[in-house]
Amino acid sequence: MNFLMPDFYPAAAEIFLLAMACVILLLDLVLTQKQRWIIGLLTQATLVGCAVITIMTASGQVVLTFSNMFVDDLFADFLKLLVYFSVSVMLVYSRGYLALRGLDKGEFYLLVLFATLGMMVMISASHFLTIYLGLELLSLSLYALVALDRDSARATEAAMKYFVLGAMASGLLLYGMSMLYGATGTLEIGGVAQAIYHGVANKTVLVFGLVFVVSGLAFKLGVVPFHMWIPDVYQGAPTAVTLFIGSAPKLAAFAMTLRLLVYGLFELAEQWQLMLMMLAVLSIALGNLAAIAQSNLKRMLAYSTISHMGYMLLGLISGVAAGDRHFALNAYSSAMYYTVSYVMMSLGAFGMILLLSRAGFEAENLDDFKGLNQRSPWFAAMMGMLMFSMAGVPFFVGFFAKFSVLLAVVDTGQVWLAVVAVFFSLIGAFYYLRVVKLMYFDQAIDTAPIKANLDMRLLLSANGLAVALFGIFPQAIMSLCTFTLLRSL
Amino acid sequence: MDMHSLYLVVPLAPLAGALLAGLFGKTIGRSGAHWVTILGVAVAFAASLAIFQDVQAGHSYNGSVYTWLESGGLKLEVGFLIDPLTTVMMLVVSFVSLMVHIYTIGYMAEDPGYQRFFSYISLFTFSMLMLVMANNFVQLFFGWEAVGLVSYLLIGFWYTRPTAIHANLKAFLVNRVGDFGFLLGIGLIAAYCGSLDYVQVFAKGPQLASMSIELFAGAPWMLVSVICICLFIGAMGKSAQFPLHVWLPDSMEGPTPISALIHAATMVTAGIFMVSRMSPLFELSEAALSFVLVIGAITALFMGFLGMIQNDIKRVVAYSTLSQLGYMTVALGASAYSVAIFHLMTHAFFKALLFLAAGSVIIGCHHNQDIRYMGGLKKHMPVTWLTSLVGSLALIGFPFFAGFYSKDSIIEAVALSHTPGAGFAYFAVIAGVFVTAFYSFRMYFLVFHGEERYDQVPHDPAHHDQHHDAHHVQAPHESPLVVWLPLVLLAIPSLVIGYLCIKPMLYGDYFAAAIVVGPEHHALAHMKEEFHSSFLMALHGFSQLPFILAISGVALAWLFYLKRPDLPASIKKTFQPIYTLLDNKYYFDKFNEWFFAGGARLLGRGLWKAGDQVLIDGVLVNGSAKLVGWVSALVRLYQSGQIYRYAFSMIIGVFVLLTLWMHRV
Amino acid sequence: MDFKSAVFYFLATVLVLASLRVITARNPVHAALFLVLAFFSAGGIWMLLQAEFLAIVLVMVYVGAVMVLFLFVVMMLDINLERLRQGFWSYLPLGATIGLLMTLEMALVLAGRYYGLEAMPDPGASGAGVNNTKELGRLLFTDYVYPFELASVILLVAIVAAVALTKRPRKESKAQNAAAQIAVRRNDRLRIVSMPSEKE
Repeated sequence: MNFLMPDFYPAAAEIFLLAMACVILLLDLVLTQKQRWIIGLLTQATLVGCAVITIMTASGQVVLTFSNMFVDDLFADFLKLLVYFSVSVMLVYSRGYLALRGLDKGEFYLLVLFATLGMMVMISASHFLTIYLGLELLSLSLYALVALDRDSARATEAAMKYFVLGAMASGLLLYGMSMLYGATGTLEIGGVAQAIYHGVANKTVLVFGLVFVVSGLAFKLGVVPFHMWIPDVYQGAPTAVTLFIGSAPKLAAFAMTLRLLVYGLFELAEQWQLMLMMLAVLSIALGNLAAIAQSNLKRMLAYSTISHMGYMLLGLISGVAAGDRHFALNAYSSAMYYTVSYVMMSLGAFGMILLLSRAGFEAENLDDFKGLNQRSPWFAAMMGMLMFSMAGVPFFVGFFAKFSVLLAVVDTGQVWLAVVAVFFSLIGAFYYLRVVKLMYFDQAIDTAPIKANLDMRLLLSANGLAVALFGIFPQAIMSLCTFTLLRSL
Repeated sequence: MDMHSLYLVVPLAPLAGALLAGLFGKTIGRSGAHWVTILGVAVAFAASLAIFQDVQAGHSYNGSVYTWLESGGLKLEVGFLIDPLTTVMMLVVSFVSLMVHIYTIGYMAEDPGYQRFFSYISLFTFSMLMLVMANNFVQLFFGWEAVGLVSYLLIGFWYTRPTAIHANLKAFLVNRVGDFGFLLGIGLIAAYCGSLDYVQVFAKGPQLASMSIELFAGAPWMLVSVICICLFIGAMGKSAQFPLHVWLPDSMEGPTPISALIHAATMVTAGIFMVSRMSPLFELSEAALSFVLVIGAITALFMGFLGMIQNDIKRVVAYSTLSQLGYMTVALGASAYSVAIFHLMTHAFFKALLFLAAGSVIIGCHHNQDIRYMGGLKKHMPVTWLTSLVGSLALIGFPFFAGFYSKDSIIEAVALSHTPGAGFAYFAVIAGVFVTAFYSFRMYFLVFHGEERYDQVPHDPAHHDQHHDAHHVQAPHESPLVVWLPLVLLAIPSLVIGYLCIKPMLYGDYFAAAIVVGPEHHALAHMKEEFHSSFLMALHGFSQLPFILAISGVALAWLFYLKRPDLPASIKKTFQPIYTLLDNKYYFDKFNEWFFAGGARLLGRGLWKAGDQVLIDGVLVNGSAKLVGWVSALVRLYQSGQIYRYAFSMIIGVFVLLTLWMHRV
Repeated sequence: MDFKSAVFYFLATVLVLASLRVITARNPVHAALFLVLAFFSAGGIWMLLQAEFLAIVLVMVYVGAVMVLFLFVVMMLDINLERLRQGFWSYLPLGATIGLLMTLEMALVLAGRYYGLEAMPDPGASGAGVNNTKELGRLLFTDYVYPFELASVILLVAIVAAVALTKRPRKESKAQNAAAQIAVRRNDRLRIVSMPSEKE
């Protein structure tokens, strides 16, 4: 038996985060209610520390460790940094909201940290086992977070649904993985790719497993018909948790999809592209149409998420066309760009709901945004920009996100698909613009002054402006996406 | 600092000034606003000078600064093309802008929108510099639209006046017509060249010349002609060429400094600049050049006529601007691009001077603008008087003054040109000399000489700036230093710039590669043979037809308005129909109102009834709303909240995928 | 058929029947007990494969801990199964059809052709000295240390989540605080007011 000590260095950020989570867990026992702010601060410090470590340990090379179960490449580093950043932003946004509802317990921060760890594990996974464990770590934390407000029947119900359906999806994923293992004899993603490349694996079994893997991924991304949990969970969960679910985990889900399908099953691209295309079209259509009928903003944004994930998939399915693979880099970076910009917009939009919420009042209905311009022209403008961006109006980041995935689709010659996508995004523009209309042209029902901490106001403003800024300089993020992918594929 | 970053400084310094003054105007206060903006423009001017030196040393530059978007091989980027043509424009724009900034301190001293004004004019300077420094059509179009926007904002600067709002709307709408053509031209270029970069497009020019396009079935057109005419339609809007000139006189509703900067010296010359920049394309199309020539000639002559009967001091200068822009266009049509740019430059100085002087007169007369109620201001406003005289002499082309060199060169170039329409153009420009001299000196005599009539002003608030109507009967007074200093600084180039620059710009190789003239257009080459020195040219000028016409125009003005002031009235009576025609500006506004505005309303109503109400509202909107309602009702029905339905839908999803793919494999 | 095969088929039959009864039994306690039976049978099958560690762990963890806990829950909470089963029969036809079709498709793939003895040959019996438990332990702490640690974090999260969701001071809880009781002073509880005596 010869065993080499694994190289812990690439996983330093994960180890640090886990250690800090344990410190916070213990510290939470001895702190009184008044000292609770230390926990929040420590959590933020942990994220900052992780960011520093991730930057310092980034080597620019593809480094495998822990018996090839953990991979550290630029793609992972970049996504992890974005995860830290969006979790940190989410914590700032939700601080006031949680305090008013008595939810700012140590457990909240702990679960958020563990969920973050789960995402990091998923992003850095190069083995089916680690992907699955990361996913479970993330999901379990999220289930608990959704139910955290346990006096709310809606939240409990949402958590229950999320849990049951999530367990089912995990089952599908796991089943698919076991099939792939059966066909290739390995759980390592690189090994699976090798086995398929060399034709060792049986095609039928592979595709059989692929169907289940795609289904499991589709649940995590929330695309039709595996989307049913999204509206209920988004609406039922406390808004701070919705904000969390709607932001960073999308990055992790994207990473998981990329690792499994592109890294592992690239040889089967023609198969999964077609599957994802069906799911994407359904999502875009159903998400946009159903969102129109909603009167609850959180629910509306939930359906909008479904359609956005559909658009993101458009990028993923344009990698290979008729055996020609030179579109791949462009297509996958467009999908990545879409995910990143979606997270940016999602943070802002749910942040606005948090901004307008007060003790005992959730500003989650569309009517609560009526006449926002009279109450705060600045934040009305921010929300307006976010909505325009989500609708894909030119010169906001959302436009370039849509534009780049559509370009990727057109590059592969699937013009009809682009036309369908554009058509539904036009329909989708209606419900985003309705929010703008409500804010600017309707009389305010709720006239309470907007109270929020300075840090939240500043960050939310920066968030809104970033959506505009990255619309003017779209290449900034795009070139980062392309670069990290190029160095990691 | 290397040149590359200096290029960036030129547009960004005014932009920084504009942003500071615009966003933090309240914080930095009035003096803060004018300091930051003047500093910004001064930096731009200094940098332009340095770049000019560098270009003189032979260092041209063409490169992109920032790629904004790349789509299907078409690059949208910000880039600079720095060559002699660009540097001339940069110098003119930043210098005149600097003068106008300084002048504004005095002119707008009492205006409540002080900071806003400074922010706008700095923003304008930024946009204009972006326009002239562009190395591609996208940036050109950006600058084009941005200057249009600022012009719109500035014409309507006093937005409480209905006339100002009407004028800025008119300017905007008329420019849209031009921009439509411009955009079509750019679109054609993008479609046929696959690039929007100047150099690449010019390289494809000969290819374009051999292609043809069928706008109407069975009638093939030369592609390059169509492109050039489309581009020129854009120039017609921006440079106020007949028949899209109607907005410029009305734009005088804006404050005088911007009339000087935007509607005389810089923005309106953007069209001239653009055509010169596109000379490699225009040279390929005889038809386009001919079109340009004729339009320019019409503008030069007929707009001059209108100047003869105007009573508003700014409108006289405005019509003179129209006429001079016509001259430049004529030069373009005669393939004498360098002459056009030369006239653009001299005109920028003396026309800015005349406008600012007019502004100074307006301040001196307590915001009365009617020249019938001025007179004898010579002794009250000595500096303004002297500088105005310089400006007027430059305008009529008196030998040795700046305008002489440029205008005479245009006339000669047209005389030597063989482009179809050159005969008519020659007549127009030569007759225009007389007309120009007459209206310039009519204004000059009425304002500065003769009896003092400033106490006869009838009370007419509509034509006054919004402040101090109270002290009407006070005597006129000289303007403060900040106002007359720019006048003096502009008078100097109005005097000498033609003398100094004609040789290098027209007959030297200053423009070298920046402007392309085809071998068949040899007017300039002929002129070069005859040219010996600036001094001799001026001396020779005294014996030429244009000089005689100019002097007779001045003499006639003297006769009518100083010697026999009763004559104009009787002439007006005798030629009543012509006067009415001119007074109504050839009925252009009326025609536009009836035909275009009325027609548009009619069309709009028709489309609204047939298209909007029936098709869009009825079928598309309500129809799609019904569809959406139906689908979402269905979704709601299924999204019942019952978990087993959710799970079942997932199972169905897996099942469908599995079934489909088991068949495929 | 040798003895081993006979035992396998016996255990497999029990396993399938027990599993079916888990979802069809009307009494939840019975269902739980059938699950216990299913676990035992699965443990037996593992035993046949010489995976004694897994077999024992399955019985100890699932039967000994999880199922007993589950039985407690089922017995203590009054779960109305009838209500849970509402609509069972109306959904059965569709559900059963889909289920059958799925099973059919899965059977097509998984039946012998790809997973037969040819595709997955018998690895052969390991030597007498090989200790299954030791091998697993060695792998878990070397090659699989990363997932092993991750699994432990997941358990930690489960604990945290369970605590977060259940153990929180409720408003109606009436716990004694001995320290506060001792520290109390007379003036906190008793107020002496002087009143003029009332006259009749």
